[in-house]
Amino acid sequence: MARLAMLIDLSRCLGCQACVIACKAGRELAPGERWVEIREVVWGRFPELRGAFVPHRCFHCAEAACVQVCPTGALYKRDGFTLVDFDRCSGCGYCVEVCPYKVPRLVDGRVSKCASCLDLVQRGEEPWCVRTCPAGALQCGTREEILAEARARVAALKDRYPEAQIYGETQMGGLGVIMVLPAPPEALGLPAQPQIPPLAIWKDGVQPLSLGALALSVLTSGIAFFIARRRHLEEKRNSQNHGE
Amino acid sequence: MATRTVRWVLRYRPGQRVVHWLHAGAFFVLLITGLALIWPPLSFLAAGGLSRLLHRVAAVIFLLTPALYALLDFRGLRDLVRDSFTYTREDLEWLKGFPGYFLGRTSHLPPQGRVNAGQKIHHALTIIAYFAISGSGLALWLGKGSLGPTGLLAATLVHDLSMALMAILTVGHIYFTFVYDALPAMTTGYVSEEYARMEHALWLASIPQEPPYVIEVQEEIPEPRRVRGARAEEEAVG
Repeated sequence: MARLAMLIDLSRCLGCQACVIACKAGRELAPGERWVEIREVVWGRFPELRGAFVPHRCFHCAEAACVQVCPTGALYKRDGFTLVDFDRCSGCGYCVEVCPYKVPRLVDGRVSKCASCLDLVQRGEEPWCVRTCPAGALQCGTREEILAEARARVAALKDRYPEAQIYGETQMGGLGVIMVLPAPPEALGLPAQPQIPPLAIWKDGVQPLSLGALALSVLTSGIAFFIARRRHLEEKRNSQNHGE
Repeated sequence: MATRTVRWVLRYRPGQRVVHWLHAGAFFVLLITGLALIWPPLSFLAAGGLSRLLHRVAAVIFLLTPALYALLDFRGLRDLVRDSFTYTREDLEWLKGFPGYFLGRTSHLPPQGRVNAGQKIHHALTIIAYFAISGSGLALWLGKGSLGPTGLLAATLVHDLSMALMAILTVGHIYFTFVYDALPAMTTGYVSEEYARMEHALWLASIPQEPPYVIEVQEEIPEPRRVRGARAEEEAVG
């Protein structure tokens, strides 16, 4: 399937929490689990106050630090989304540590974060959050469609919100969630340029190096053992003969 | 049945052996449950989190073994630490002969005391790796939530590399144990006098030649094994 994405239009979000509840019910999340949260952000100075509802949920980074760091492969990428194989999660919490958005949490010893409704999308349905949104703030489709829609919405917003912009086109290799922001990301509590931690040198460098060195030492000593053993027994025989 | 008298030399006291096997057991549990986290073919072991629990139980035992050593046999611990970091000119001579030792020869080496230079380096690296593994492991365990991406990266790098070092040291340790028949030292506490003479002549000379330091055991002489060469020889003679 093509690379998919979601659109979240903050200028349309009412903060009604319908998506939060729909996600929780639709995905049958355990008590204490919540994959979508809505945070209320206020900026500006009285009387020029402005506000927005900002989602806190997995943004499905293309270069996802959580996927890079996950030791068991429980976190993986598919069709632009970051999926979770909950059975493979060991609950180590490394993903919690490295996510620049602080999204994954541990609930009952395993990771809890939006695992995407890719199953629904593949059946031609919409994700739970998208289908309940009464304001048309959410949408799901191919990434190109979503980006085009986001651009159109930003253009339409420019009169009312001169600082309106797209978020997620480039951050972390491109997010799987494209946001239409009425204000600069910093004002909304989003990092303008989240850093991709240099985790690749651990997983692609040090881990194979460690395993390779260990395998090499086993191989070397395995081969040398036959030579050394034979020569040791020979030396032992010789010293016994001399001794007697 | 014909018997012969074989002399055995006390190498490790009971406390030392208990600490050794506890440490070794914990180490292998840690190694396997740790490999499950970095080697995909073993990752099924890590799924579900049982291996994490085992890793932590073993980690506590691993962490406590030096303290246990101090309690059970303080002299052993003190000698271990002192010898691991004391090097002499003779050690350099021994190291020059290491390639031959690696391949099964001891006759070219200068006579050694209780531990040879190879064992000293092995012990020293093990001690250093122990602290690196424990420190980084504790950081990963207790620092969760406050390490941040950089801290996690640093801790896992140190943890992986020091564990790789210790695993490679262990491979060498097992290798020499089986090349030179040194296993009884850690199962019974005794090594054969022959082993002691070949590898630690100075140490053998320095200990009292009486029980329990040196004991005599009646041993059956094994039937000579028929080897192909020997039979050919017999036939030639016959």
